[in-house]
Amino acid sequence: MGKLKEKREEKKEKKQKKSKKAKKTNIELLRKEVMLKNEEKGSENIKSTGKKKRRREKENNVDAGIAVQFNKDNLIKVEGEKEKPRKKKRKGEKNNALVGKSDQQDGYAEQNDDGAAGQSLVKTQGSINNSKGQSEAVIGEDIRTHKSKKSYRKKKEHHKLRKSETIPEKIDESVHDGVYYISSGEEDSSKGMRKWLMEYHQSRPGLKVLQQRIDQFVTAHEEKLEQERKEREARAAEDGWTVVVHHKGRKKTTDSQSGITVGSVAPAVAESQLTKKKRKEVGPDFYRFQKREAQRNEILALRSKFEEDRKRIQQLRAARKFRPY
Amino acid sequence: MDVDTLMEPMDLKVSELLKEVQVDYSPALTELVDDTVSAIKEAINQIPEGIEVTVDEAPGFVKDIGADKVEFKFKKPKSVEIGGSYSMKCIAKPDINVDLFIQLPKECFHEKDYLNYRYHAKRFLYLCILKKFLKSSSLVHKVEWSSFHNEARKPVLLVYPARKVVEFPGLFVRVIPTAKFLFNVAKLDMKRNNIRALNQEGNTPLPTPRYNSSMLEDMFLEDNTEFLKKTFLGWRELREALILLKVWAQQRSSIYAHDCLNEFLIAVILSYLATYEKVNNSMKPLQIFRVTMDFIASSKSWSQGLYFWQQREVKVSKEERLLYKETFPVVICDSYAHLNLAFRMKSNGFLELQDEAALALKCLEKSGDVAFEDIFMTKIDFSSKFDYCIRLNLKGNSKVCASGFCLDDECWRLYEQKVHNILSQGLSDRAKFIRVIWRNFHSDCDMENGLSTLDTEPLLIGISVSSLEKAFRVVDIGPNADNKEEALKFRKFWGEKAELRRFRDGKIAESTVWESEQWAKHLILKIIEYVLLQHLSLSKTNILQVVDQLDFSLLHGVEDPMSFSASLLAAFELLSKRLRCIEDIPLKVSSVQPLDPAFRFTSVFPPRPHPLASEKGHVPKLRKLISSCIQPLEVMIQLEGSGNWPMDEVAIEKTKSAFLLKIGESDIVKRVPFVDKKLFVRGQHSSMINGLQGIYQMYGPVVRLAKRWVASHLFSDCLVEEAVELLVAHLFVKPLPFTAPCSRIAGFLRFLRLLADYDWTFSPLVVDINNDLTPIDKKEIYDNFTPSRKGHEENAQNISPSMFLATSYDKASEAWTRFAPNSLELKRLVAYARSSANLLTRLVLEDQTGPLKWECLFRTPLSNYDAVILLHAGRLPYPQRLLFPSNSNQGRLVVHGNASKAFQPFMLPGDLRGNSEELKHKLMVNFDPLMSYVADLQKEFNTFKLWYDSLGGDAIGLTWETKKRGRDEAGEGEDPIKVLKGVGEVGKGFVRSVYFLKAPRLMK
Repeated sequence: MGKLKEKREEKKEKKQKKSKKAKKTNIELLRKEVMLKNEEKGSENIKSTGKKKRRREKENNVDAGIAVQFNKDNLIKVEGEKEKPRKKKRKGEKNNALVGKSDQQDGYAEQNDDGAAGQSLVKTQGSINNSKGQSEAVIGEDIRTHKSKKSYRKKKEHHKLRKSETIPEKIDESVHDGVYYISSGEEDSSKGMRKWLMEYHQSRPGLKVLQQRIDQFVTAHEEKLEQERKEREARAAEDGWTVVVHHKGRKKTTDSQSGITVGSVAPAVAESQLTKKKRKEVGPDFYRFQKREAQRNEILALRSKFEEDRKRIQQLRAARKFRPY
Repeated sequence: MDVDTLMEPMDLKVSELLKEVQVDYSPALTELVDDTVSAIKEAINQIPEGIEVTVDEAPGFVKDIGADKVEFKFKKPKSVEIGGSYSMKCIAKPDINVDLFIQLPKECFHEKDYLNYRYHAKRFLYLCILKKFLKSSSLVHKVEWSSFHNEARKPVLLVYPARKVVEFPGLFVRVIPTAKFLFNVAKLDMKRNNIRALNQEGNTPLPTPRYNSSMLEDMFLEDNTEFLKKTFLGWRELREALILLKVWAQQRSSIYAHDCLNEFLIAVILSYLATYEKVNNSMKPLQIFRVTMDFIASSKSWSQGLYFWQQREVKVSKEERLLYKETFPVVICDSYAHLNLAFRMKSNGFLELQDEAALALKCLEKSGDVAFEDIFMTKIDFSSKFDYCIRLNLKGNSKVCASGFCLDDECWRLYEQKVHNILSQGLSDRAKFIRVIWRNFHSDCDMENGLSTLDTEPLLIGISVSSLEKAFRVVDIGPNADNKEEALKFRKFWGEKAELRRFRDGKIAESTVWESEQWAKHLILKIIEYVLLQHLSLSKTNILQVVDQLDFSLLHGVEDPMSFSASLLAAFELLSKRLRCIEDIPLKVSSVQPLDPAFRFTSVFPPRPHPLASEKGHVPKLRKLISSCIQPLEVMIQLEGSGNWPMDEVAIEKTKSAFLLKIGESDIVKRVPFVDKKLFVRGQHSSMINGLQGIYQMYGPVVRLAKRWVASHLFSDCLVEEAVELLVAHLFVKPLPFTAPCSRIAGFLRFLRLLADYDWTFSPLVVDINNDLTPIDKKEIYDNFTPSRKGHEENAQNISPSMFLATSYDKASEAWTRFAPNSLELKRLVAYARSSANLLTRLVLEDQTGPLKWECLFRTPLSNYDAVILLHAGRLPYPQRLLFPSNSNQGRLVVHGNASKAFQPFMLPGDLRGNSEELKHKLMVNFDPLMSYVADLQKEFNTFKLWYDSLGGDAIGLTWETKKRGRDEAGEGEDPIKVLKGVGEVGKGFVRSVYFLKAPRLMK
């Protein structure tokens, strides 16, 4: 797709150049397109010629300068569906519409595939906010000068890439010119996009399954706890001793006055509260020696801080942090 | 005692600073200076006595300043002497220059040459002759024109010595002519008119105080320097304080300008303080600095003017003082009571100066030790100081000098004043400060041919917004319609924009209405443009406002997704209400708190309402592309307390999920559980930031720009969004030495500078959002910080976290920067921030760099990686967020991949045929192939590091990780190309191409 995009860019440029000419020869072009369509209809039935056709079509496109919208979708649909010829026809309509109005129903697929090219052609879709084409166009407006430069560069690159175009897609993974080709991986779900999609769907098994799993876990967990308790009791029984736990009163969970659920205190919290309470020692400045010590410590701390500062400043100086310019 | 301990490191730093900027008068320096001076003297000696000097030396200049009768016979100068800061030993690097006073001989002038610019013309012609002979001297590298405090009628010569000394790069000698005893002082009184051309029209000739002062300055230059020298030479602390003041001023380009402060005036103010014993011998330089700041910021003496009284015989009478006050906004009368040394100072410059001094005082008071960096080390230029910067390109604009170049004041200064007046009237109380500065001199000025080339530099305007409420006010109410006179004035100023309106309280008044998109908030831009176009004959292209140039990075198409925030918040309200109303769960939901940045206006791309997510459930009219991915927003819910929660971690998670399921049955979204502590921290962070953005409206936009920047330079993995939010928050809660930014570009620039300049190695960044950290908290933070830097001495990279961000909820910097960035990543981040900050500064301040440059701030160079992975932009979940489709033209293409058909970021037309229920199932919540890819790569390889843009970039950078350990297994045999093939393979259907740039360095 990257290549295609570049191609498109190139075409776009050519198109811009030729736009004047193109306008004049509109009718001629339309005729040409009709011819082209017929040709395609014929050729598509024969799967094996798909590739050749594509190349030819590309040439046609370049020549025509306007019939840009074909390529990508054809590429995908070459797989051979019954629906194809019909689709083609519509696409053709679409191409006609390029000159005037756009076909809404079908336009989207193209737009999302053909991005920039589609946008620049279909003026009436300007009202569509947020579409990729538009956002690019906005940027494009800002950086037009740059783009043209870039597309020049792309053009150069494109020549390099065109070689690779000749490699049939059927050969899945091959090495050519030191470039390693990877297929789109449609049937391989161990890697890449397919895998991620699979993982995505697996991670969302639906609410029922999720509830089931949790129920299972909870039962298992409770069983485990029960087992542990039993073991503990068994051990205690072996020794002949049992730990007696004192429970005083019932567990309070509601406030007696308002009836609001308060919730009892978790054991961990209770413990931490206890430790907090216990701290009732003599204040830090109760004895004179404490005061003296505190003072001495403070001075020591100050001194060490001073030393540290000095050391830091040495480091800063080493890092040239004192040069204001 | 506390203050003392606080000041101590500050004093240490100050003394280090002084060591750095002071120039010691080593033999090398004195020799160089003496050689150059004697070379100049020699060149002067070669000039034959008595040659005729005529207009032909510089006809353009003489014509432009409008002088007549300028011929004279050349005589040698009466004296050639070194003056200025070099003679006072108060030079502050990097400006090392030596002033050389050349006293013009009386024989060359007539008694009445003070009239009609004759003095200025002759002064210039004299310098022309000098220049001619200096140029032929072998000891002189080059001679250039410059101006005396940007005053075009008083050029000076800069002489660069041929011999270069490494320690003093760019040293030059300024040749300044002086006019001691040339004229009768009484003739140059403020009330007198000395330009005859100015009094044609009327009966009483207009006085020419600035023209007169310009000559008086030359006449007393030597005496005043001598006076300063006497004060400073025997007093080291005072000299050091002067150097500190110079450093302070040099960092602030808005006050170190021709209409405000200069080195000479600083020295004068300081000597004033010394004369009046406001500073004394026992003070340290920093104390003197503080006293001076206080004096500048708040002394009452300014309203009367500063006068040196110590010479009893000369007294300035009361009437004279009054006259001074009327003529000049700021008066600093010299010790001979002849002229106002601050005659160039304008009132807006002085206000700015006072404000800066007040800010410096605030720094000293508040920031403790950090004040040093704020005051002396932080560059405060126009681009970072002012909220809005505007450049006016006035090159070749004939209106500027329509009535001549030099009147009493020069035309450029008058134009500055005019622009300032227009803007201050147009913006009224929206602006706190407006600075208009036009620096006319550039290094290769060709003065002989006249003054018309002095308009090549753009005029620079800086505007500080007073408050955002005022700045975004839509209606300006003018005078009442009954008040005919005022109304007419108003109409005259605003032109067709003024309209008569009836207000709610029944008042009918003239008014102006300004509209602007709600999210853009660039209202001020419109006003400025309107008034400038209305009153100055400028074309739109010559007004360059720095306001919205970066907005493109935040837009979806043509609109800012921020505009959907209202509906987002409404949806959240509804959700939380429903959650709290759910009855049939064991524990009720007690609170619902938003976690996602989109709820606090800091998300770069807050989601827009999805067309299929409507309540009614019908398939909407398909006018737009429908995204197939949905970006979820995280919300934290808190349940009522209970003692029955299990203690086991896994069990807690499971129970939570069970609760969520139960809640989900009530028709609400599901969510993946999180670890509790993280959740708590995020909740705290979210509510704090939410509060902050409520106070500072500009906070959100600045954060969004900052996040976008971080992501588009592929730092998504290094700096999490929350960390960016905290960094930007710091700019707002601790704005010193600035005030909180009121525009996105100023805020963004400060963010970049913070990242680039902060001393991450040795200081924690404490972000005190609610201003509630106690000294004990701060101590705790420092105690946490110190051990993290222990390892530094052995190995500079051995610090973690390398970016220590402490807040009240996270005193050990564990929440956001614990693992990333590491020190290498931080280094890269800092380098990128620095170059982006420099580029942005240039874009704001300098002329004509083209639109290409603004986007460069967000376009990252792909050459800085060892390998680059390019993705199929059409397979990103939100392709519309891609700023620039990436292309690598460097390195070798090693892998090429095709795009998968299994995933489309937008709904295909075929998908849309089903009913809305089915459609909803096709939507994918939180599916992001980029993140899946990155996760897979990180799982499978450990020989490289990935740099990516989680906001929607189509490039991933890859750098080899050089590991010391385990190089035997990993580093040796593996062929990088093979690795890259594997990398491509993992991203099947997503990777477009992989480029190989650099092989991993083999560790030896």
